[in-house]
Amino acid sequence: MSIGVFEAARPVIKGLIIAVLAIVGAYIGHWAHGAMLNDYTPVQPIEFSHEVHAGENEIPCEYCHSWAGRSATAGVPSVETCVGCHKGLTEVRDTPDVVKLFDYWERGEGIPWVKVHDTPDFVHFRHKPHIRGGVECQTCHGPVEEMVRVTRRVDLNENLRMPWCIDCHTEEDVANGRDCLTCHY
Amino acid sequence: MSTIRDKLREYRTAGYYTEFEYHWTMAVDLDRCTGCEACVVACQAENNLPIVGEKRMRQGREMKWLRIERYWDGDYPDARLNFIPMLCQHCDEAPCEIACPVFATYHNQDGLNAQVYNRCIGTRTCAVYCPYEVRFFNWFTYTWDEPLEQQLNPDVTVREKGVMEKCTFCVQRINRAKDLARDEDRRVADGEAQPACAQACPTDAIVFGDRNDPDSAVSRKLEDPRAYKVLEELNTHPSVVYLKNAREPLAGHEDDDHHGEESDSHAASPVMWSEESSEAVA
Repeated sequence: MSIGVFEAARPVIKGLIIAVLAIVGAYIGHWAHGAMLNDYTPVQPIEFSHEVHAGENEIPCEYCHSWAGRSATAGVPSVETCVGCHKGLTEVRDTPDVVKLFDYWERGEGIPWVKVHDTPDFVHFRHKPHIRGGVECQTCHGPVEEMVRVTRRVDLNENLRMPWCIDCHTEEDVANGRDCLTCHY
Repeated sequence: MSTIRDKLREYRTAGYYTEFEYHWTMAVDLDRCTGCEACVVACQAENNLPIVGEKRMRQGREMKWLRIERYWDGDYPDARLNFIPMLCQHCDEAPCEIACPVFATYHNQDGLNAQVYNRCIGTRTCAVYCPYEVRFFNWFTYTWDEPLEQQLNPDVTVREKGVMEKCTFCVQRINRAKDLARDEDRRVADGEAQPACAQACPTDAIVFGDRNDPDSAVSRKLEDPRAYKVLEELNTHPSVVYLKNAREPLAGHEDDDHHGEESDSHAASPVMWSEESSEAVA
């Protein structure tokens, strides 16, 4: 009798297995799409607009990200750098985001910016050699001066994945550009 | 048409690089080495090496890219201790490079034996092939208690479970020196690239430099008649050169040809660590 019940239930079990696989597949696909194949636009603690600063006011990138030409990291400016300009700009002093900035300044805290362009820990990307080689910031970061909220654009840099690095290193004939130890150590 | 198989064969042929851009070499003067282990500590701090703990240590899972081996000369009480710092020899004909199925270890244009952590799948074949026993496997993901994680070197990857690791000749420092030299459009000068162990050595027993430069300090060390390489007979062509200990022979051991000028270098080079020698030390 028990065999008969199992036989009867077989199409149901088959259907269940297919349904579970479909749900798991959809879940993995959704995750992969979100993690790897999508633009990434995190919400920052302060709605800092690059469009206003770098676009309209034409502040050069290295005025704030001043370590890009000298070290591995480009760095984010200190609160002091922000306040240094904004103290004199009384006409925007009352906008909500500048008020937030001065709150951080008075509390003596750093602003917890969310990193947009990040590489894994086993990749040692260095800004300095790229600036020295004359690579424009926009080549990797996109037209930041037109962005209100900074976006990592997948169509532009394939989310900073290695084949994209290697393509450029090969095209530009970088010295030791294809050696693993150039980036991985 | 070259297939992947042809590429592999070409890559695995001995002497893939016949000429090196730089040929980084280390000379260790055993006469100057006092066995203080400052190099071991410097290496540990520079390269984010985990402290595995007493239990793992006893299981032979310690992580020490550079260790000081001890060898006794003579019998008690007329005994004398000899030290030999043992680290990755960056062999030009490295056995480990032949072994790796995924090319996580390979030789680069600077004569360095590279280990690429993100490519390593942890077969541990390289550690089996290495005659110097200087490759270490991460059996666990080691963590650092607060606030010790703050002292990790940001220029060196913190390795995870399942990855093989070994001495890199402090490639992060070499890369930095090359970067600074590139600013001025010149080659790296002698002494600019220094691994942590060479920098820490109080007696300057460890000298590091470019063998391609005939005037470098390490090139002069190589011309020393005391120079030999450990396990030279295996034809691994190591990039680490040791300068033989040239002390007076012990009383009652004058007959030993260990310190004689006419002895061949193999007899004078210390034997590798073995069960017998460990018992002798104990």
